[in-house]
Amino acid sequence: MEIAVVGSLDFTLGFQLAGVLRLHNPENLDELTSTMKSLLNEKEIGVVVIDNSDLLQLPERLRVQLSESITPTVLGIGTEEDNTLRESIKSALGVDLWK
Amino acid sequence: MALDIKPTRSELINLKRRIKQTSSGYNLLKMKRDGLFFEFRTLLAEMIAAREELVGTYRDALKSIALASSIEGGLAVKSAAIAATSGPEVTVSRRNIMGVVVPKVDGTNLTTTVETRPTGIIGGSPYIDESADSYSVLISKIVKAAEMEATLKRLLEEIEATKRRVNALEFVVIPEMKEAQSFIQLRLEEMEREETFRLKRFKNK
Repeated sequence: MEIAVVGSLDFTLGFQLAGVLRLHNPENLDELTSTMKSLLNEKEIGVVVIDNSDLLQLPERLRVQLSESITPTVLGIGTEEDNTLRESIKSALGVDLWK
Repeated sequence: MALDIKPTRSELINLKRRIKQTSSGYNLLKMKRDGLFFEFRTLLAEMIAAREELVGTYRDALKSIALASSIEGGLAVKSAAIAATSGPEVTVSRRNIMGVVVPKVDGTNLTTTVETRPTGIIGGSPYIDESADSYSVLISKIVKAAEMEATLKRLLEEIEATKRRVNALEFVVIPEMKEAQSFIQLRLEEMEREETFRLKRFKNK
């Protein structure tokens, strides 16, 4: 299975340098949404890497679908700390265990 | 609920059986919740460390590619990137943690070396090679973090659902059943007393 990278040209360039061949550069939100939807149904993709800022722009329903997906597994990365998981832990367990 | 119950002995027996079954289910669910929570706590510490490492590696990778672009020029970096023909591959399998299906991600060919890159030793540049190395390290960290994050999310969902089930059994289902049981018992005792009284009156006549 392959690794797919979704984001701007600058975001994907480094991954291309490391040999990742499945690169997607959507130009607007609609294109990003349709790209993510089509990647969810691809059997040959194991991991999808997406820029955190792009991930946050996606509709809530699609984000839930992405986080529930096992194949491919979707991971958002960015330079800033992502607090989504921390917040969901807090709301689910009632305590902040992220320490 | 108590009002819809028929105050009969067979109903009481059924109810007692159901309370016993529900209580054992409740205990099992409680054990499952505790087990999941233990698993979650163990993974969370690893996940926090992996996430911090990932952010740090990503920052380093961004710095190295910015440096390569500024020294070698954006076009040289792009042409080196286009030259890449073989990339990292992953295998995603499923594993089961206490009934929760979680992904297991294994990577192959995640890191590339100068010798294996199409640009070669002479064609490339140290700055471009360094940024390619940084991104290779980043990819191996991504593979690890992707598995851990997906596992944690699924465990968290399951903990939440199990917690809800445990609470529903503890505070709604079992108390309602016990209420119905005491209603039937009281009603049966009342009927027995009425019957005794009726017999006494009948005997006195």
